[in-house]
Amino acid sequence: MTLRRALLSATALFALASAARAEGELHLYIWADAIAPELIAKFEAETGTKVTVDAYNSNEDLLTKLQAGSSGYDIVMPSQHFVRIMIDEGLLENIGASTLPAFAQVDPKWQKQWWDDTGDYSIPFAYGTAGFTVNRDQYQGPVDSWKVFFEPGPELQGKIALLSYPDEVVGAAELYLGVPFCSEDPAEMKKVLDLLMAQKPYVAAYTSDNIENRIGGGEVAAHFWWDGNSMKTRANDGAHIEYAMPKEGLVGWLDSLAVPKGATNLDNAKAFIDFLSTPENATIQYNYYGHASPVALEKDKMKYTPENAPELFPTVKVEFSRACSPAAQDLVTKVWTQLLQ
Amino acid sequence: MSGARFRPDFRLWGLLPAWVIMGFTLILPIGIVVLVAFGTRGAYGGFGWGFSGASFQQILFQKGWTEELEFNPQYLEIIARTLWLAALTTAICAALATPVAYYIACQPPKRRAALVYLVTLPFWVSMIVRVYAWLIILGNDGVIEKSLRAVGLVEDIDSLLFNNTAMLLGMVYSYIPLMILPVFASMEKLDGTLIEASHDLYANRWVTARRVILPLARPGIVAGAVLVFVPCLGAVLEPILLGGGKQMLMGNLIQTQFGGGRNWPFGAAVAVVLMALVMLVLMINALRTRPAGEAAA
Repeated sequence: MTLRRALLSATALFALASAARAEGELHLYIWADAIAPELIAKFEAETGTKVTVDAYNSNEDLLTKLQAGSSGYDIVMPSQHFVRIMIDEGLLENIGASTLPAFAQVDPKWQKQWWDDTGDYSIPFAYGTAGFTVNRDQYQGPVDSWKVFFEPGPELQGKIALLSYPDEVVGAAELYLGVPFCSEDPAEMKKVLDLLMAQKPYVAAYTSDNIENRIGGGEVAAHFWWDGNSMKTRANDGAHIEYAMPKEGLVGWLDSLAVPKGATNLDNAKAFIDFLSTPENATIQYNYYGHASPVALEKDKMKYTPENAPELFPTVKVEFSRACSPAAQDLVTKVWTQLLQ
Repeated sequence: MSGARFRPDFRLWGLLPAWVIMGFTLILPIGIVVLVAFGTRGAYGGFGWGFSGASFQQILFQKGWTEELEFNPQYLEIIARTLWLAALTTAICAALATPVAYYIACQPPKRRAALVYLVTLPFWVSMIVRVYAWLIILGNDGVIEKSLRAVGLVEDIDSLLFNNTAMLLGMVYSYIPLMILPVFASMEKLDGTLIEASHDLYANRWVTARRVILPLARPGIVAGAVLVFVPCLGAVLEPILLGGGKQMLMGNLIQTQFGGGRNWPFGAAVAVVLMALVMLVLMINALRTRPAGEAAA
């Protein structure tokens, strides 16, 4: 414990030393390409604040960085279950989120949910679902059930790709089998493994990179994917693909803006959160990012509507990933390790 | 030698910066990894200070689906698979690099420099970009499929990606420069008169290659083998992007444990085992080459 404390205080000293130079700065650590560059430029022009952006590709990367202490970041963008974990682990700053002007813009159905039930730490930023996309040049059949994906018929055999990590994939398998998320029952998780094992001979790849090309170009015919990415590839790049609406439901995610504990530019961080949440800016952001927005938008300027972007407006049940206990997480890891054996 | 004997202070202080850098950038981080491996696990990643050998036990014994602790070789299989892939890549690299290095060594000096430069050229491009290039070459409607179709050899073929051959191809491609360069370095020093002497003694080309050239190039091949084998043990990119990630290797295993698995001590324990294997390879190498070197001298 003492060594840890010594290390922490040493890093804190470094942080203090750099804080002296931090006037008018804002350091973002967010999902790759998550905020419209146009908005960052606009914020810099309006306030004179110098904004730097670093990106991560998984919630775990973010969590690891914050756990190491004194990350030097002022704003982070964790998904719902990681907001819960970070609050419980004391990694987020209480910014009195529900008193910020931004909070009033948030749709009441996303306010003070289980991941931030006091509404002190986070402002919802974007949400969506994880499901699967099919290439319509390669596959013409129905996409109304996860059965199509997990128990593929001859048309899809050998032409399926999943992600390289278990998170949402195991969640989707659980939805299909009716197993609750974060189950601690080995017998139930064994069923998940059996399902994925039976699917494996027909899987071309387990990889999370370069999905646009793989599914858009027809390298595979069905790919586990996210709603907004699938929509943008179809709408903007003209790929002949369709995002499935399986009747068993989709795996939901919601990313929030939050401030890590000990952030040096607290006021700038709050100002930026409010800035992003005004209807005008949130609409610019929505049109850039292509994921559903939990804050109020300018309806007439929305680029993506239920008509031209049905991916963003799910017609089936959406089940949000939860923060699993270590026992439940171990079962998920075990399923994945044995699957890739 | 004599200078050092008269001024031991200089040797001590002169080398101090090197020792400090080694200590802070090499030995300390390894120490931390070992420490984490013996630590206790944090509920949401991270680790606690406490002594526990559970992570090392977990490599051999895990709870089965019915909750009792049983011997489970799954991690040993991952380790064995990783070793096999690294060994195979090294062997293929050695087989391909030796003639290439010999050819380069036989060129006139100017041309030789240009060829060596070409071998090092891929290092100027990011590894990720180079692996992605193979996606374009091997992929559906990729360079290979298009050219085969253009000459009328095939109508329409399935993707050449996502199999072990593609993965091995990517690995060999990524690491072969690390083999060519040291083999070339030892071939360059090869005394041409020895080859002439071998022919004078009625050895044909094959015998000359086997009995004269290869033994003399051996130090280079051994050095190259170490340079290729060691990074191959930790390869992550090629197995996932080209091989399809259908079988876990040690690199992915460690990544999973530190990431989604949230079990840092176990990830660190696997990393320690990986490190121990690398050290074992280097030690065997050192023991094997030293007597040979002395015998040659």
